[in-house]
Amino acid sequence: MDSSRRIAHLDMDAFFASVELLRYPELRGQAVVVGGRGNYEPVKQADGSWRFSRLREYVGRGVVTTSTYEARALGVFSGMGLMKSAQLAPEAILLPANFDAYRHYSRRFKAAVARIAPRIEDRGIDEIYIDLTEIPENSASLARRLKQAVLEATGLTCSIGITPNKLLSKICSDLEKPNGTTVLAMEDIPARIWPLPARKINGIGPKAADKLARLGIQTIGEVAATPVGFLTHHFGQATGNWMHQVAHGIDNRPISTASEPKSISRESTFERDLHARHDKPELSEIFTSLCQRVASDLKRKGYVCRTIGIKLRYADFRSVTRDITLPTSVSDGSQIRRAAGECLKRVPLNQRIRLLGVRVCGLSPLGEADRVIRGVQAELPF
Amino acid sequence: MVLIKTQRDMLLSPLQSVSGIVEKKHTLPILSNVLLEKKDDSLTLLATDIEIQITTTTTGTQGDGDGAVTVAARKLQDILRSLPDNAEVSLNLEEKRLLLKAGKSRFALQTLPAQDFPRMVIAETSQGKITVTQKQFRQLLSKTQFAMAAQDVRYYLNGLLLLVDGNQLRAVATDGHRLAYASMELENQADLPRQELILPRKTVLELNRLLSDSDEALTIQMASNQIQFEFGSIHLVSKLIDGKFPDYERVVPTSLKNSVTMNRSALLQSMVRAAILTNEKFRGVRLILSTGSLKIMAANAEQEEAQEEIEVDYSGDSIDVGFNVGYILDVLNNTSSEMIEWGFNDAGSSSLLTIPGNDRFKYVVMPMRI
Repeated sequence: MDSSRRIAHLDMDAFFASVELLRYPELRGQAVVVGGRGNYEPVKQADGSWRFSRLREYVGRGVVTTSTYEARALGVFSGMGLMKSAQLAPEAILLPANFDAYRHYSRRFKAAVARIAPRIEDRGIDEIYIDLTEIPENSASLARRLKQAVLEATGLTCSIGITPNKLLSKICSDLEKPNGTTVLAMEDIPARIWPLPARKINGIGPKAADKLARLGIQTIGEVAATPVGFLTHHFGQATGNWMHQVAHGIDNRPISTASEPKSISRESTFERDLHARHDKPELSEIFTSLCQRVASDLKRKGYVCRTIGIKLRYADFRSVTRDITLPTSVSDGSQIRRAAGECLKRVPLNQRIRLLGVRVCGLSPLGEADRVIRGVQAELPF
Repeated sequence: MVLIKTQRDMLLSPLQSVSGIVEKKHTLPILSNVLLEKKDDSLTLLATDIEIQITTTTTGTQGDGDGAVTVAARKLQDILRSLPDNAEVSLNLEEKRLLLKAGKSRFALQTLPAQDFPRMVIAETSQGKITVTQKQFRQLLSKTQFAMAAQDVRYYLNGLLLLVDGNQLRAVATDGHRLAYASMELENQADLPRQELILPRKTVLELNRLLSDSDEALTIQMASNQIQFEFGSIHLVSKLIDGKFPDYERVVPTSLKNSVTMNRSALLQSMVRAAILTNEKFRGVRLILSTGSLKIMAANAEQEEAQEEIEVDYSGDSIDVGFNVGYILDVLNNTSSEMIEWGFNDAGSSSLLTIPGNDRFKYVVMPMRI
């Protein structure tokens, strides 16, 4: 493999929680949990200080979006139910998520990095891969400069892993969080990577890790030591070969600087389980608003979509999805709502529902010429 | 056994009547076939796609005995069509094959058993029967069918609403952007209770193809989920679309502030020319209506431009409005009056095209913001 590459993975430290701490610096050092909806917004007191909600006050079914390292120390992690996490950390501060602010800081840190190293692959709101191959500066000093630039632009810290490829960098950025820097070469793999649990590999999830454990394989090193035939026998040709490669630290995926979104989705877990008939007005309003949010996401990103799908999770946590592909691309909220409505007709609605989601794919960019000439056809007001 | 012995056209023309609905690809292979059934001197051809079924019966067919068989409709039609006009054709039923002979040509076609051929169940209860001439009904269809949706997720728009009420028969089609309405009076007919039927798009297109512009009778038999048409030697049965058609009366504007009447074919010619330089995908044209003049303008992605001007007798508000030229061409091509009237309120709301002195046709079209 091409070991001359130098790839960084930059991951913001507890990003959402840290953005909240910028706004409420007095919470620094405390266990803070971000999640749930707006009604736990801090209230300004007469003396100018804030009154924050505590996790124990939370009633509902939201989940933890993120938590500060102090909250993580109490066992509260992303994805956990808020009420469940309240049992672990009842006095932790609860803040509702504020995505506009996160997007703002996301743009700022990416712009700061781009001024130093322009070849960036966007991996989401709080992480990026950066290709440093062409930059004539040693890794440790580059990492320092990048972190300094991010700090100056946002007041936030991040962790960076610099290695010959994306796979290893992703593992490394996590090794010394928060505010960590890990620089690793191929020859460091046996000492630094092999002792780690197999799950640390991006792509080996809980299921694959369980299966590996049942086969007596715990660490990345043990995966590397396993004959490739044994892996392909248990995981299939493609996955088995892939596991063998990544365990040896091999990953040839390039940095893709112009990443096109594949799908756009919005979903919502209800405050209480809703019934398709009895709660029809409420459900219908949420449904329409999800479609409108997807439409405005599409518009903001400059795309039109052809396939529109829905996701439903019933009270018993069973999920179903349905989708429909239209003859032509659409972008309008009401068109998406109509297509999604057709999908909804194809699922059983005799059970209570806890989550509803709308997802569009088959995206194509709204061409410049189209945008100018296209014209918007009005609909008959039936 | 010689099942049928006849002139080419005696077989080809009934076959062409039924074969239009045969789908090229179907999950049930037998549905690519046509059923040939001979009894005494009558020959019945039947084709179906499960939603629609067409039967024709002709008499005067010669052959050695009775029998029935199914054979690939498209292949049989292609063979017959390629034979000389006056060829004498015989169909011989062998074990599992149908042998077609004409002059020195021989074709052995695969068959499937007639008893396996699916047939639609004819509704037993009728909700009314009307008789009109083929010409009348064909005109009703041709003035509206072009506005049907083709593949809309609102499946009920992929068809045509037939509305019977008293002695009135109305047809409405819409794709959500424009709507065509036509009505006719049912003569010598007992008043019928109001009922709405949505004919599937395919049925409408097929009827439009099969009906002639003649004064021969067409009988329409309605049931709750089925409709039957009988005309000439053809019997067509179709399922109906189960759904609620939008209330067309809500979208037909009743008061229009401005209207202009002009020569239909002059407008059509201008639109045809302007359409050449519209954007291929969105096909927008801009109309500027002012005192004495209607300007039609188009531009495409390559910055090419077209401009047309028609002198009109108009003194209302100045209006600057965009339309999909396809929607305008459709209505101008499918009406035959000398003059056409076009009414507007403003550039953002629906406009109405009508035939002066004829309240039996209406065409509503929504503007396009260009």
